[in-house]
Amino acid sequence: MNQIACISGVDLLMDYLEDVVSADVRQALDAHVAGCARCAAFIAAYCETPRIVRQATATGIPADVQRSLRSFLRDRRIGPDAS
Amino acid sequence: MVVPAAEPTDEALAARAAAGDDRAFEAIVMRYEGRVFRLACRLTSDTDAPDVLQETFLQIYRHLPAFRGESHFGTWVYRIATNAALMLRRARARRPAESLEAYLPRFDAHGVHVETPTELQAASHAEEILDRQFLAEKARAIITRLPDLYRDAFVLRDLEEMSTADVAQVLGIEAAAVRQRVHRARLMIRGYLSELVAVKR
Repeated sequence: MNQIACISGVDLLMDYLEDVVSADVRQALDAHVAGCARCAAFIAAYCETPRIVRQATATGIPADVQRSLRSFLRDRRIGPDAS
Repeated sequence: MVVPAAEPTDEALAARAAAGDDRAFEAIVMRYEGRVFRLACRLTSDTDAPDVLQETFLQIYRHLPAFRGESHFGTWVYRIATNAALMLRRARARRPAESLEAYLPRFDAHGVHVETPTELQAASHAEEILDRQFLAEKARAIITRLPDLYRDAFVLRDLEEMSTADVAQVLGIEAAAVRQRVHRARLMIRGYLSELVAVKR
């Protein structure tokens, strides 16, 4: 597997990142990306995407939701304040 | 000098809670309620998440005696929470499937990216270019719009940062299927973020 097109590289990207591609596929992808500014840019954005969404959707638990949970469990006689 | 006592492991707490120690169960609730709530928000909605949270801890309490430690306790909790979220989602009116194909990368006849490097990397700049609140709203919106199969795998693997093997276990699918679904979700969301950045620029 000597040459690879961008479209094949994108198809294999997740497997490449999870290290489940063969050595020759890895080598072909590395060679392609080294000479392809488009793929290098694409991969940078692809790898950043999970972190951006993770941080943007990180939420804490509101105090009223915590209280409701304790009350729900207590009503079912679950937990230290059940009796 | 007082040496602080080591925190009990999840498995130790689970064993004590299963034997009827209510304080241990409360410690499990405190340790996991934030993570379960966040997962529930991502798999359902802010409105439904409190119900998922309650159902999850009810199920954990009921099934603790059956926990045998075959998986990590955290994975077991996530499986219960995910099932509770999916059950609740099924009970809701089914939303029409939406095509997000337009956000997938485009290629010419030779299989070469159509967009320029600057356009292809635009999603990386979402946090610099977009208002934080706006990005949070849009990120939540695009997760909701993903096909359910992609959403579940993406949330567990990429947002909750579980291993692919653990996601496969939680969803009851092969690791290869997890990778394929997460990949599709990443492609779509990258394209969506790129478009948001392009509009703002």
